[in-house]
Amino acid sequence: MSEAAIDINAIERELRQMWQEQATHPEAGGQAVIRALTLNLIVRVPDDAWAEQVLAVAPALTAQHPNRTVLVIDRPGSATELQANVQALCTLTNAGRTQVCGEQVTISARGAPAGQLASLILPLLVPDLPVVLWAPGPQPFAQPLVQRLYRLCDRLIVDSTTFADPVRELAELAAFEQTANGAPAVSDLGWARLTPWRELTAQFFDTRPFLPHLHRIDEIVIEYVAGTHPNPVAALLFVGWLASCLKWTPLADAVGIEGETIQLYLRRPAVGVGPAAIRLVKVELRPVALAGVEGLVRLALRAVDNQQAEFVVELTGDSGYACTRATIAGANPIERTATIDHPALADLLNSELRLLSRDRTFAAALHLAGGLAQRLALP
Amino acid sequence: MATPVLDNPLRAGLRIGRTPEPCTMVIFGASGDLTSRKLVPALYNLARERRLPGGFSVVGFARRDWTDDYFRDLLREAVNANSRSGPVDPELWASFAQGIQYHRGSFDEADAYTSLAERLAAIDAERGTGGNRVFYLATPPEAYPTIIAQLGAHGLAHSNGWTRIIIEKPFGHDLASAQALNAEVLSVFREDQVYRIDHYLGKETVQNILIFRFANGIFEPIWNRSQIDHIQITVAETIGVEDRGGYYDTSGALRDMIQNHLMQLLCLVAMEPPALYDADAVRDEKVKVLRAVRPLSVSDTVRGQYGPGSASGRPVRGYREEKGVSPTSQTETYVALKLFIDNWRWAGVPFYLRSGKRLPRRVSEIAIQFKAAPTMIFADTPLNDLDPNVLAIKIQPDEGISLKFSSKTPGQPQIRPVTMDFRYGASFGVTSPEAYERLLLDCMLGDGTLFTRRDEVEASWALLTPILQAWAEGPPQPFPNYEAGSWGPAAADEFIARDGRSWRRL
Repeated sequence: MSEAAIDINAIERELRQMWQEQATHPEAGGQAVIRALTLNLIVRVPDDAWAEQVLAVAPALTAQHPNRTVLVIDRPGSATELQANVQALCTLTNAGRTQVCGEQVTISARGAPAGQLASLILPLLVPDLPVVLWAPGPQPFAQPLVQRLYRLCDRLIVDSTTFADPVRELAELAAFEQTANGAPAVSDLGWARLTPWRELTAQFFDTRPFLPHLHRIDEIVIEYVAGTHPNPVAALLFVGWLASCLKWTPLADAVGIEGETIQLYLRRPAVGVGPAAIRLVKVELRPVALAGVEGLVRLALRAVDNQQAEFVVELTGDSGYACTRATIAGANPIERTATIDHPALADLLNSELRLLSRDRTFAAALHLAGGLAQRLALP
Repeated sequence: MATPVLDNPLRAGLRIGRTPEPCTMVIFGASGDLTSRKLVPALYNLARERRLPGGFSVVGFARRDWTDDYFRDLLREAVNANSRSGPVDPELWASFAQGIQYHRGSFDEADAYTSLAERLAAIDAERGTGGNRVFYLATPPEAYPTIIAQLGAHGLAHSNGWTRIIIEKPFGHDLASAQALNAEVLSVFREDQVYRIDHYLGKETVQNILIFRFANGIFEPIWNRSQIDHIQITVAETIGVEDRGGYYDTSGALRDMIQNHLMQLLCLVAMEPPALYDADAVRDEKVKVLRAVRPLSVSDTVRGQYGPGSASGRPVRGYREEKGVSPTSQTETYVALKLFIDNWRWAGVPFYLRSGKRLPRRVSEIAIQFKAAPTMIFADTPLNDLDPNVLAIKIQPDEGISLKFSSKTPGQPQIRPVTMDFRYGASFGVTSPEAYERLLLDCMLGDGTLFTRRDEVEASWALLTPILQAWAEGPPQPFPNYEAGSWGPAAADEFIARDGRSWRRL
């Protein structure tokens, strides 16, 4: 379809027809087809390479959150070009099971003004269902389409691991989240990737005798994969999470950089002394060279004052596993191996789509990490 | 003693629940089928999903002369064969297996418990399990009293951490034996340490009954005698007695299925909303249902026993020809019964329950049939041609909920029933955990909501024991009276037809 021929009614008609055909000509094997829609997903991608990645995860998203996807390929350009097409997305299921299908509308644009795109997208949304806007890639907040649409959405999903200028963009993300204040709720797939690390860390302290040590942490070392250009956002978010849960606050001159290592200084309430007493927590974020993985590699929480305690989570040689180790006052370390798969993009999205409202834990962690990032980004 | 909820500040906002404190699970009957088919695969899958703490340990207690290594290899094979996640992941298994030990002893041997106590103390020191223990009785029920008494005699019922005991079904074989067993257990353990397991309650769809009823506002107002005509609960199995013939012949369908699984389903579908979702509030309401059931008489029941027939197109033998079964057996393999709950919500609404072996399909469901439209305004369709609305809660195999209602046939004046389907698998796309995973984890976390309390077990037996007695004293039945692979005896169809109703075709 050329620009003039894009017709919302035609798209709707095509969608209806598609389901009627499905009902009269069930797929081979006589499987029944169910059209199910639980949300509207608008995906804004900058180019075809991104569009392909999105298309690759679509079936897995349909399986868990059948949706109407409106994929917008928002290429820059001088001449305006617009095309649209429609397809059903069905999940493959075991024979005999009912197939669940969602819908996908692709709008392929070049040089189209945001207002024009929005006028095409909005009438395509299914009424009375949540609207999620996913904007993968760098600088999501600089995109006119995102700026135009975010207020109409229930959730905005970005991915901090794809940021071009990670520290600066993290600060922007934090500022955005705070201003939005839940409308829309904000998700970061980079944060979602931290879930297993947070779980494994939290699990140490479900054990009653270990819990007191959590309030005595003096040192944290987080190692993360350097890659071609280091992205410390995951490590910063992790520190932000710990600090917000444990009521640590950054010092005024909280950040230092030594070579490639980032040093952070926070204060925590002191244990067992007067109510106003504080102690210093020293944090080091170190990039390490490691092939085949992304994100965090190892983290260690240490209490050094009085009784020594150390809690370590680290990837083991084989990918997909982490070793957790708690060592208290030189006693036998308590170790175990746990899975820590590198999650697929679809799994990360699915876990975020499951959330219905603002993720307050993330908001608190992001706020703190954003503050640190802002100081780091200063020249 | 429930574990106090730890104030772990890192827990807030995490997407999986709390992990239990490190503990040791001692499995009595570790060489048995349940251990290898269900328990260890469930524990392994919990570990795989990061739901178990570091330091978690297993001690298998059995009579055979095995070594730790042999036992671990055996369990590894068992997980390979029975785990829903497929063969073990070698790396994870290595870490999990470090915590597995084998303890040789017979259940009545005092020394074996002395050495067990020493072993548990050693594990506490080495693996940081802090005196927390779960004793799992996966033995034949005859061994329960001996093990419980020995645990008590050796001071193993209490420790400096928490101690809990899980008891498998059957919990007694009638009211008197259930009361006797409760008395024995409670002479050693406190009630809050005792977890009587009914794996049906661990099923996701069974738990969903409460969510469905009490998290939706629209169903509760119609969930009563003014809107509901009757309720059918079906648990049908295709299998025969397999190699449990010897045991089953002393038990029968009423004891094996109705007393536990179907009664639990009845309670969940009929109970009043609990004040809160906690172990005692939920179980209080369930007990109230059982107490409100009008006493049953033999005329409220139909029994059956399968004869030779076929299953999945293959000929199968009759019950009396099964291994371990008496050739003149009077044991029922099928039961249908009707009961009334005499309270304000349910007065006058019949509940039909049926369960049997060697039925054509494996299916468990609860069907709520609503009253028909009071009058028919559509002239072309006679009223009795209309299907009433049915809400079916399917528990297995296709977990989900469906609602049947009437709709107009396109282009014609006729009315046809259509169903609106919600399927678990289709809406969530994740595989549900096995019932045992949920239940073992709940026990380790100290949550007894999905376990059966003493008064619940006794109330259920009190209801059914008179039937068992009357059957035993009554004349012999003309067994077998249904063909394997059919939907039970003809008498069961007549039984419900007398009320002007029929069994759901499943």
